[in-house]
Amino acid sequence: MAPDKSSSQVESAQQAEPAKPADAAPDMPQPETIPTVSLREIVDNLLKKITRERIITAVLACISLGTLFIVWYLGTRYRFEFYIRFKNVPTPAEVLQQLTQVGLSNRYLVNIAISLRRILIGFFFAIGIGVPLGLMIGKYPRVRDLFMPAVEVLRPIPAIAWVPMSIMLWPNNEAAIVFITFIGAFFPILLNTIHGVHSMDGVLIRAARCLGANEAQLFWNVILPGSLPHIFTGLAVGMGVAWVSLIAAELISGQFGVGYFTWEAYSLVNYPAIMLGMITIGVLGLACSGVIRMVGSLLMPWLAFAPGGKR
Amino acid sequence: MTMVELNNGGQTDLAGVHSAKGLIDVRNMGVTFGNDDSRVVAVKDVSLNVQPGEFVSLIGPSGCGKSTLLSIVAGFVKPTLGEATLDGRPIMKPGSERGVVFQQYSLFPWLTVRKNVEFGLKMAGVELGKRNVTARSLLDLAGLLSFENHYPDQLSGGMKQRIGIIRALATSPQVLLMDEPFGALDTQTRVVMQEILTNIWQQFRISVLFITHDIEESIFLSDRIYVMTARPGRIKAEIKVPLPRPRNAAMTDTPEFMNLVQELKGLIREESLAAMAPEIKDRGLTGFGMKVGPKGVGEIF
Repeated sequence: MAPDKSSSQVESAQQAEPAKPADAAPDMPQPETIPTVSLREIVDNLLKKITRERIITAVLACISLGTLFIVWYLGTRYRFEFYIRFKNVPTPAEVLQQLTQVGLSNRYLVNIAISLRRILIGFFFAIGIGVPLGLMIGKYPRVRDLFMPAVEVLRPIPAIAWVPMSIMLWPNNEAAIVFITFIGAFFPILLNTIHGVHSMDGVLIRAARCLGANEAQLFWNVILPGSLPHIFTGLAVGMGVAWVSLIAAELISGQFGVGYFTWEAYSLVNYPAIMLGMITIGVLGLACSGVIRMVGSLLMPWLAFAPGGKR
Repeated sequence: MTMVELNNGGQTDLAGVHSAKGLIDVRNMGVTFGNDDSRVVAVKDVSLNVQPGEFVSLIGPSGCGKSTLLSIVAGFVKPTLGEATLDGRPIMKPGSERGVVFQQYSLFPWLTVRKNVEFGLKMAGVELGKRNVTARSLLDLAGLLSFENHYPDQLSGGMKQRIGIIRALATSPQVLLMDEPFGALDTQTRVVMQEILTNIWQQFRISVLFITHDIEESIFLSDRIYVMTARPGRIKAEIKVPLPRPRNAAMTDTPEFMNLVQELKGLIREESLAAMAPEIKDRGLTGFGMKVGPKGVGEIF
């Protein structure tokens, strides 16, 4: 654990608060002063965040990515060929050139936008159904008995295996691909939500009941926030699986989309574009899980102090 | 305090007998766990009461069913026999008129300290400004106002339990049920917490049912002490504590206090031995002599 990291979070947690009591209780005396922010303080705070721990983290990240790049560069530079063949693999320079040619073209950006839209729709349906259902299954044994047999049968079927069925089921390709994305994200979200409810400390539920919480209040104020850390684990895993499923669906049945872009490049023997497509998928997936992590830490500032650093 | 008036203003003289609220009455209570084959009688024929504004402790060896009794009064467990009532009404389920403080830390880790204290009021639909004022005045009372925006995981065990107590008090309950609230704390913190509790109680004067296995703790805090037997738990004795109020730490050295400790120790020791009977039945306590000698257990073999 980085001690400086947690201390900076203490500061931000405390700074975030003083605004609240003002609109909450106008009749209360206000001991807190409204914080004034100077440019210098901001710079100082930024400098303070550059710590030894963070520098080490950044250096290791560079080594990690740099190794991948060097293997790629050297392999293509010397056309390495010993069982693994780098003969046809495009060089970094070729891919960069491809990016500058294609990268800002409408077609490439539209493909990205369409893939993102499919992910977002499928993912939000997965959240919208997975989280409430997971909470109910976790809380009520009767609901669990009703739904879990079906869940257990459907869960081992990988999203890719749903492609033919999905094309049959849905009126158009677009809906079919979104459905496959949904399937990919749904089960990790559902199962982690159930686990979140089960791993909650029972004394919290008893305490809430003693404080007069009825069933609905218990759900909103205790069970949901209490399982939120596990729900976010589910979201992160679900997002990863959603991308895998989406690309598979696009490869097989798509028109448009990053997966389609990559597959089309292969059919057209445009090797640099394949590489560009792959890198695009990687970066988009990284960005999506980054957004989830960020939302998670904004919604759950208390996790920074949880014993053992749950996250 | 204004908070106490909130609840007591509304309903008075329900049974027509008690003008003060907060009378816990447990009659001929029996609790049995398990089915026919694996029956465990946890509590057998227990009757006890807590008068309005009285601080009553329930003390006994571990596993004697004292926590089970509290769970019944709190409304988590239904008794097999008998009945528990609060101000004449039978207790069916948990409710905010009975505040509960648990042995484990039970603050909601995702809420700040102040939001934790406000929780019960929020459930009752009290508006934000009002519950803010109540929570802050209670936090001030517990000496924790400066921590109002911290999260529970940033606090020590003693602080968490103090917040647990004032959180239970925030909804102005008629009774406070405490299940070994200081059991997880170290001895020094414990002694301080007992003083803080007795001070807080003196301000509110609500009925308290306090579960403990600590003899000094029960004497220091209580007006009356029930001693329970080993399983199946029954009431073995009822002891009045004639020490004057307000109580302070110096009282623990007075002869009256010492005498009460001796009396209770005798009662409890018998029961602890009875509770351990299966483990020590053949040899008695003498079986645990010092025959091993200074060289350690390894020498025997």
